[in-house]
Amino acid sequence: MDIQALQDISLSLRRDVVEMVYRTKDGHPSPSFSVADIITALYFEIMRLDPSNPDWEDRDRFVLSKGHSCPVLYAALAKKGYFPREELFTLRYLNSHLQGHPYAPKTKGLDATTGSLGNGVSIGLGMALAARIRRKDYQVYAITGDGELGEGMIWEAAMAASHHKASNLTVFIDNNNYQSGGTVGEVSGPYPIEDKWQAFGWHVQTIDGHDIAQILKAVENARLVNDKPSAIVCKTVKGNGVSFMVGENSWHKRVYTDEEYKQAIKELGGAV
Amino acid sequence: MSTVDSTRIGFRDALLKLATEREDVVFVSTDSLKVVKGEPFLEQFPDRVVELGISEQNGVGVCSGLAASGLLPYICTYAGFLTMRACEQMRTFVSYPNLKVRFVGANGGLHGGNREGVSHQFIEDVGILRGMPNFTILCPADGGQVYEAMLASADIDGPVYIRIGSGREDKVFPDGTPFPMGKIRTLVDEGNDVALLAHGFVLGRVLEAAKKLKEEGIKAKVVEVATIKPLDKEGLAEVLNATGCAVTVEDHTIINGLGSAVAEVIAEGAPAHLIRLGLQDVYGESGFPEELLDAYGMRVEDIVSAAKKAMSRKKL
Repeated sequence: MDIQALQDISLSLRRDVVEMVYRTKDGHPSPSFSVADIITALYFEIMRLDPSNPDWEDRDRFVLSKGHSCPVLYAALAKKGYFPREELFTLRYLNSHLQGHPYAPKTKGLDATTGSLGNGVSIGLGMALAARIRRKDYQVYAITGDGELGEGMIWEAAMAASHHKASNLTVFIDNNNYQSGGTVGEVSGPYPIEDKWQAFGWHVQTIDGHDIAQILKAVENARLVNDKPSAIVCKTVKGNGVSFMVGENSWHKRVYTDEEYKQAIKELGGAV
Repeated sequence: MSTVDSTRIGFRDALLKLATEREDVVFVSTDSLKVVKGEPFLEQFPDRVVELGISEQNGVGVCSGLAASGLLPYICTYAGFLTMRACEQMRTFVSYPNLKVRFVGANGGLHGGNREGVSHQFIEDVGILRGMPNFTILCPADGGQVYEAMLASADIDGPVYIRIGSGREDKVFPDGTPFPMGKIRTLVDEGNDVALLAHGFVLGRVLEAAKKLKEEGIKAKVVEVATIKPLDKEGLAEVLNATGCAVTVEDHTIINGLGSAVAEVIAEGAPAHLIRLGLQDVYGESGFPEELLDAYGMRVEDIVSAAKKAMSRKKL
């Protein structure tokens, strides 16, 4: 798929997120937007998948460690055909298969249950080591937040993954520079992020996390490394794509008014 | 099979057997391989040992990924480092998605922790896990029973917890005795004066107490409750209805363990007088295993006198 087509998909996923949050009156919009381009690149270009066979043993795996960004992941799964788009608008309601945070047994196409921060790299490592033990050649991708790097378990997993030379594991760090309580610089101290992953023995790249061509190239580079896991530090913008969400951290979890909804859809190239 | 004279060897030997028979079995170690004398496993199945170093939360997270990818991981380390340090990982990433991960908790109880002291002596593990849906919780009484419980639980859906000790347990059952998965097991049935309900490494003391009671003309039942979850409520209700009084004996805090589980059965339809022996809402301390059980109210004499006290309440 060419870059323009992928960019169009990424915009449509953001529009679906706006629609979901607006209609269901809940969910995390701006953390979804900062990872929208990474998820688009993974699901519509990079990953080996078969939506008609969600449990296919040789599929690539994806772990959304920052589980609260799940609206955009659900939108991607629907667009891939794992379930009908209309079901997106049952998000967080009783009897919906779309839980507030990802729950793999309920949602087709979802590989990992997440939500509590700091756990996704370990889960991804387990999947990556299982590929080695079972002599499978699938890849495992995970996205963590930057605030999430405060969880010690991330670094337990980082140490173990490089010890095991788990080169089939690639972790994207969504470096949008915000966490719930403010900028990551104010609240915690993850910087310099690259040096830390490097020190733990990972192959490290830094890219613009909204440039799909850079995302594809970085994954290609990661695939060439066969003795280390890969970390891709993605410089991203929380709320990317909608002007009034950028720089306004309340959109971490906030519901659109009618006016905001219309403006957001318009800015994302949609018609209201 | 040679004599399985410790719970740790019971685990190790059963794992070897399982790994020989099926390809999905892997051993996840958090620098705990030597704790269970796992070197022979490493020798025979080097590709099926996942060594993660001292990182229990990561260990359980990795197990979640392994199990989600078609493997059957066994993670074995000290009971509290699993159920407390990695409690949330056991809950949210294994129990909630109902994944087949096997947790083997060493140093269960005062007896298991013996001279290590409280940091390595776990009296809360069963209670912590009882609150998690989907878990199967097994408390075998000796090494041979751990071996059998391991084999009997391999195909159970969802997560399984098997409590083991320090490796200094007395034998209660002859090797090869089947593990009564999901069912209570009546070991002594002299009559209906009192029921002694127990599991784990105190079972030998309970059998001893039943002998003493018999010498005094008191007819006891000794019932092993080795599967604490799912609990054989019908079996227990039948025993409790027959005796009308019971003593539970557990090497665990009396809160949330066997005693509490039995109290729930009693309260929900099998009225009986109950006395709970075990840790009386206190921590233990360092000491030799048998003297610790003595010091914390689990002497044979304590069980005998609790049985008489429970019986006396029936007559009120």
